[in-house]
Amino acid sequence: MILYSIIPTETVFANMEQVEKQELEEITNGHATMLVERTGPYEGRIVRLISPDPQDYLKPHYAPGQKVQFRPEWLV
Amino acid sequence: MSKQPYNQFLNKPPFASTALNNNKGPAPQSSPPEEQEPAVAPPEAPAQEDPKKKLLDSITQLGQTNVPQLESNIYCMTIIGQVEGHIQLPPQNKTTKYEHLIPQLVAAEQNNKIEGVLVILNTVGGDVEAGLAIAEMVSSMSKPVVTLVLGGGHSIGVPIAVAGSYSFIAETATMTIHPIRLTGLVIGVPQTFEYLDKMQDRVVSFIARHSNISEEKFRELMTRTGELTRDIGTNVIGVDAVKYGLIDEVGGLGKALKKLNELIEKARSGEERVLQ
Repeated sequence: MILYSIIPTETVFANMEQVEKQELEEITNGHATMLVERTGPYEGRIVRLISPDPQDYLKPHYAPGQKVQFRPEWLV
Repeated sequence: MSKQPYNQFLNKPPFASTALNNNKGPAPQSSPPEEQEPAVAPPEAPAQEDPKKKLLDSITQLGQTNVPQLESNIYCMTIIGQVEGHIQLPPQNKTTKYEHLIPQLVAAEQNNKIEGVLVILNTVGGDVEAGLAIAEMVSSMSKPVVTLVLGGGHSIGVPIAVAGSYSFIAETATMTIHPIRLTGLVIGVPQTFEYLDKMQDRVVSFIARHSNISEEKFRELMTRTGELTRDIGTNVIGVDAVKYGLIDEVGGLGKALKKLNELIEKARSGEERVLQ
C-alpha cells in the first residue's frame, strides 16, 4: 500500500496496536452483513457494511458508526 | 411448536397491554397481584394502547410506519480525513472508507430519484489505490457530478477533486501537490524506482486527463522546491488552482449547487431529445 498524504506516515500509523485489539463481530440482517464492534450486551457500533444491494449503502441507519441492537432469534 | 410459548411472549412487558391477550394467559405484570377487583383495572389500559394502535393502523393503511418525506434529487457525498484503503487506520485518524463510498456511488448511479451527485472534499490524502478507485468511479458516472474542495484537497484528494463533471474550490481552500513517497524496506532499488514512477504516472495522467492542467505543468508543480518545508511540491490555494487549470472555478456551496442543477437540467433536456 502506498500512502499519498500530507500527514506523515508515522503520525497516521501511530497507535496501530489499537486496531489489532478491536474485536469485530459479524451479524446478518436479511441480505446485509455488518461487522459490528460490541459496545454492550446485544448492542454494537457498525464498523463495516457488506451488502449486495447498493441501496443499503444509502440508508442512514446502516452507516458505519451507527448503533445497532441485535439479539439472537432463540432469545425472543 | 405449540401456541403456548407464543402466548407467553405476548404477555411479556412490550405486549402486555395490547388487545391481543385480552382473553387468556396470566395477568399482565404491570397489574397488581391482587385479583380482588379485576373489573376496575381496565380503565388505565386504553390510554397505553393508543399510540401502539395508531402505529398498527398506519402500518395496515400505508404498509409502512414513516410518512413520505421530501426527497432530494441530489446525493451529497463527503470525503473527509484520510482516504482509507486496504489497511484499517488507527482510531486517531478520521477516515473515509472507500469500500463504503463505492457502493454509494453505484446506488446513486442506479437510483432513479437521484439526478446528480455533489462531492465535498476536505481530505489530507490517503491510499493511492483507494483514492484512484473513487476518482475512477466518480469520473465514469453518467449522472452529473460536481466536486467542491473546502479546506483542503491534498495529495490523493486532487484526482478525486478533478474527477467530476465540474469542479469548484473555495477561495481559502488549498491543494498540496507533491510526489508520492515510499516508506519501509526497499529490496531492489531500480525496480522500486520504476514501480514508484508508474504509481505516480497513474495519478498524474488521471489528473491531466480530467482537468485543464497539462502533465508537464503538473509535474513542474509537483517537483518545485522552496514552497513546502518538509517536502518538494506546491501548495495551491483557491484562485491559483483555477489559474493552473486544475479546478474549473472558485466558489462555494451556492455556486456548486447552482452548477449541479444546471447540469441536471442539461442532462434532462438531452434525454428528452433522445426520446423524441
